[in-house]
Amino acid sequence: MASAPHDPITLQVIHASLQAAATEMFAVLRRTAMSPIIYEVLDAGTAITTARGELVCSGAGIPTFVGALDKAVAHLASSHADTTLPGDVFITNDPSYGGVTHLNDVVIAEPIHIDGVVIAWAASVAHWSDIGGLTAGSMAVDAREIFQEGLRLPAVKLIDAGTPIQGVFDIVRANSRQPDTTLGDLWAQIAAGRRAAKRITAVAKAYGLDAWQMALDAAFDADESRARTGLATLPQGRYSLSAVQDDQSTWTVHVHIKSDRFTVDLRDGPDQIDSPYNTSRDSATIAAQMLFKALCDPTRHASAGSFRPLEILTRPGSLFDPTETAPHGFYFETRIRLLDLLWQCLAPALPNALPAGHFGTIGATVIAGKHPDTGRRSTLVEPQMGGWGATHERDGQSALFSTNHGDTFNCPAEITEARHGIDVRWRQLSAKACGPGLHHGGRGLDTCYAARAPVTVAVGFSRNREPVWGTQGGGAGDCNTVTLTRTSGDTEQVAFASGLELNAGDSIRVETASGGGWGKPAD
Amino acid sequence: MTTPTLRVATDVGGTFTDLVCFETDAETGQSRITTAKSDTTPPNFEQGVLNVLKKGGVNAADIGFIAHGTTVVINALTERKGVKVGLITTEGFRDTLEIARGNRPDFFNLHYQKPAPFVPRHLRRELPGRMSYKGEEATPLDLSGLAGILEDFQSEGVEAIAICFLHSYANTAHEVATLHAVKAAWPDVAVVSSHQITREWREYERSNTTVLSAYVQPAAERYLNRLDTGLREQGFTGRPYIMQSNCGVDSLSAVARTPITMVESGPASGFWGAAELGKLIGEPNVLALDIGGTTAKCSLIENGQVRIMTDYWIERDAKSAGYPIMVPVVDLVEIGNGGGSIAWVDDFGKLHVGPQSAGALPGPAAYGKGGTKATTTDANLWLGRINRDYFCGGDLAADMAACEAALKAVGDKLGVSVDDAARGIVRIANNNMVNALKLVSLNRGFDPRDFTLIAFGGGGAMHAVALAQELGVKKVVVPAAASVFSAWGMMMSDLRRDYFVTQLADVSTGSADLIESVFASAEDSAASQFIDEGIERNQVQFTRYGKFRYQNQEHTTEVELSGPVTDANLAEIAARFHDTYEREYTYRLDAPVEMVGIHLVATAAVGKLEMQARDTTTTDASTAIKSERDIDYALEGCHTAQCFDGDKLEPGMTLTGPAIVEDAGTTIVIHPGDAVSVDGYGNLHIVLAGAAQ
Repeated sequence: MASAPHDPITLQVIHASLQAAATEMFAVLRRTAMSPIIYEVLDAGTAITTARGELVCSGAGIPTFVGALDKAVAHLASSHADTTLPGDVFITNDPSYGGVTHLNDVVIAEPIHIDGVVIAWAASVAHWSDIGGLTAGSMAVDAREIFQEGLRLPAVKLIDAGTPIQGVFDIVRANSRQPDTTLGDLWAQIAAGRRAAKRITAVAKAYGLDAWQMALDAAFDADESRARTGLATLPQGRYSLSAVQDDQSTWTVHVHIKSDRFTVDLRDGPDQIDSPYNTSRDSATIAAQMLFKALCDPTRHASAGSFRPLEILTRPGSLFDPTETAPHGFYFETRIRLLDLLWQCLAPALPNALPAGHFGTIGATVIAGKHPDTGRRSTLVEPQMGGWGATHERDGQSALFSTNHGDTFNCPAEITEARHGIDVRWRQLSAKACGPGLHHGGRGLDTCYAARAPVTVAVGFSRNREPVWGTQGGGAGDCNTVTLTRTSGDTEQVAFASGLELNAGDSIRVETASGGGWGKPAD
Repeated sequence: MTTPTLRVATDVGGTFTDLVCFETDAETGQSRITTAKSDTTPPNFEQGVLNVLKKGGVNAADIGFIAHGTTVVINALTERKGVKVGLITTEGFRDTLEIARGNRPDFFNLHYQKPAPFVPRHLRRELPGRMSYKGEEATPLDLSGLAGILEDFQSEGVEAIAICFLHSYANTAHEVATLHAVKAAWPDVAVVSSHQITREWREYERSNTTVLSAYVQPAAERYLNRLDTGLREQGFTGRPYIMQSNCGVDSLSAVARTPITMVESGPASGFWGAAELGKLIGEPNVLALDIGGTTAKCSLIENGQVRIMTDYWIERDAKSAGYPIMVPVVDLVEIGNGGGSIAWVDDFGKLHVGPQSAGALPGPAAYGKGGTKATTTDANLWLGRINRDYFCGGDLAADMAACEAALKAVGDKLGVSVDDAARGIVRIANNNMVNALKLVSLNRGFDPRDFTLIAFGGGGAMHAVALAQELGVKKVVVPAAASVFSAWGMMMSDLRRDYFVTQLADVSTGSADLIESVFASAEDSAASQFIDEGIERNQVQFTRYGKFRYQNQEHTTEVELSGPVTDANLAEIAARFHDTYEREYTYRLDAPVEMVGIHLVATAAVGKLEMQARDTTTTDASTAIKSERDIDYALEGCHTAQCFDGDKLEPGMTLTGPAIVEDAGTTIVIHPGDAVSVDGYGNLHIVLAGAAQ
């Protein structure tokens, strides 16, 4: 029986080979990309899905992209059903066309055919440094419609049966302030997809389509079973929380935990707005998936089966399910706040499973200008590290990337200074107080960037007014602060800003928040 | 007095210190191999080496060449048995070591913990002074605070000091000045600065490497010096050489200064052995596979060249960011899959093998020492692949009842028979190893079908043919004396040093002088180091590599350069980069190319073992048959195989699978239809069924 083609070991070997392909795809993307935000920050992901777009496995470097590509492929599979050819490659970036996040995140997907049938898709997503729009970097705080955020690529064909469609490449090139980097990143994604397609084809041919299908079904069932086992350990009940945000609006979430279902109800959320803080329903779903995964099965591996017990309810026209023309540039700050809110909502009921709150922002920091030594244009784009909350067992971690990042690497000061011609005056743990408690929160990070030549700066920091929460009697951490200091000595505090002009000698100091405390402080 | 002729390799492991001695007959050129084993003797490791020489009957005065490998450094790191270290770094950057890279590889886990830094915050101190990335002094070094720092270090019981300043790869002056000042103020303390180890950028990696080197320096220095003295007292008149992670050996004094370079010396000697063996038998493209008790390691050798990199990490896995060590290490992939790896079934019915290992105690269930968990060895034994009547070279009676009980426990959880459980374990273990071999070949743009698989270590030959089938490899070579192959590799090593220097330069007309000057200055400083050790410049071979990328990329592709770099040959260099890049990544760009740094390899021969082929025999291989047994090949079913005594196989003999070749240290599993021949050096060449021509 064991050497029959469909025994459990064979199915397991097939699945392991697909995971290896997704990982390899990610390695190719990372090594060939042109933008530091892809190869260092790992603002990119890869996935293999079924023909219908169910996630089989992913090679993402960050958790928020694990559940992004299945949604993109599902859109492509339904809009291009049955018309794809071997060697086709598609491109999309619009949240209303399977793009999930914002226009900077471009999805490249390739259907994989065996004997004329699509058996899988290989897809990747990567943050492109510039895709046009109001401002350099394409993320303008003052965008009021998606049209101001750059080029919309509505799930169109990029390569036709192996032949690049030059017109689409030309459109992409013409709509970026950094066309060479953008095309480099695009080709990196194409190369990654080709690599995966080769591996997947080899696996499917070696074992046959019956075994292939059985292997996927078995993997989905196993992952569902993992999720349900975790779900069964959670306290059943209805949980709700309303919390005041930095802009003093109040957001409300409900979570309903039943033995067989985990429902996240966002229908009482705020209305959509005409600023770039809307996040698509797909994207809000990812916030719910992340919390669900952290609670039920916190391993890195995920597939469509992992999320079967999860249900998300949204209201069209809300911040978490906006209409087609809403701007999305800074969607990620809304999503991290949503995850934070869901986490805080359940923390009282799950004192051991959930730590106190963390610094709660991506902390996007963009510094663009001409390198003073080479005269070349360069753009520094980096997220920030900060303090994490204490747990029931220990103090919080210091200087770690946020929940929404993962195997993300900071850029060394030596490389920042060489590549961008910006001085890093210091980078150290912040001296700000940590959230007190039986276990105290971790420390934030204090970094000072100084311009050597004129640069334009954009930043986005949540938790700039409402401090990080403690739990089980632990105290609050503090807030994220960004301070601009001119050579004149004038200073200015900013939180969300784009188009800030700095001259040589001006500096920008980022101090991220410390984490919240856990438990009442011992006397 | 006769010229000393013995060639000796000693290897200090965690439990045992091994000796392999090669005695070459001056007339025939044939080598006689003696081995011996004695206990490792921490913390006075040199004593174990001297003991094993005595046990092996080796007179130090007769040694012509001795190479020494050691796991002392890696063990001190993983067991946290180094000294208290103080770090001196640039003002504003004392926390670099703790901030690390900020990554959370286990990204859904809200309880992730960063690896703790090896130096706590109060022992991380700063000095004012700043270099630019171009190596220009932006702020002068201010040493006025150093006396206070050293006083604090002394009162805290610090035993070693690491110095790492920003941009010291571009200008070492501040580090050099601080190093001298520390030595002057505190002559006894162990001290090392980052530029002595590497001249590459990335401050966290460089700081951590320097700290880890300081952490092991006092112990390594002490025992290496005592080893030198001990050998000399017993009449050894040459220089002992120390195995390095870059597949070369280095002088004892150089290693004592920066002992961190020994961190992966164990696997390096085996991979170098594979490269040398490949050259000897005319197979320059090699996939090298080393399967031991707890792990399997593999590396790719292209055209006789091992690939040396500087992005090595310890304790890094899917759950932890680990610690980077920026020293030249042979490019290898290691997975927790060895003979002792434990098979287990998770709560969701999936079978896994490793990374937990049964170790030496209790070991596999079949050792009969109380182990109840099935290991890869148990599965191989159950399937007849390992001889139950010649277990561990006949040293141990196989406890088949314990083996069956352990496999049955796995089978029960999977709902399959004992046989199927054993087959499943072998298949999962093989799949893990196939994926590791793909990482070093396919993932780097190499097609495994163009390579020969050389398998060694205790378990390499048992799995090699199955792995080769899966990868499409046509030929497997199992070296003679596969179990002491690493020691042989050490005998074949050159004195080798790898220099990596970060230097940004455009690859365009006008920049050749800059690039050439970086190589020239690295060659000069390398040559002067060799001269200090009595090796003239004309005996030193230099190989130049440039690390290139398309402008704006981060990761580089290494390209070998020939001859001086001139503006006239820049275009050719760029073309070679485009080709190499395209092979690896399937596309090329019409974009400017830049150099990020150089990699210079300096080697000098220090007297390798010369191998002589023996005459072929006309005797038939059937004279070496000792028995017959049934073998379960998992995917190819059961076959009755002849079992050959490896010690009786002679050059020129041939045989056909299904077959088993076994000697005291190795079992070679040959699948149905494979054609085997023995070469003049005693190596087995296995041409896979269906791979003829």
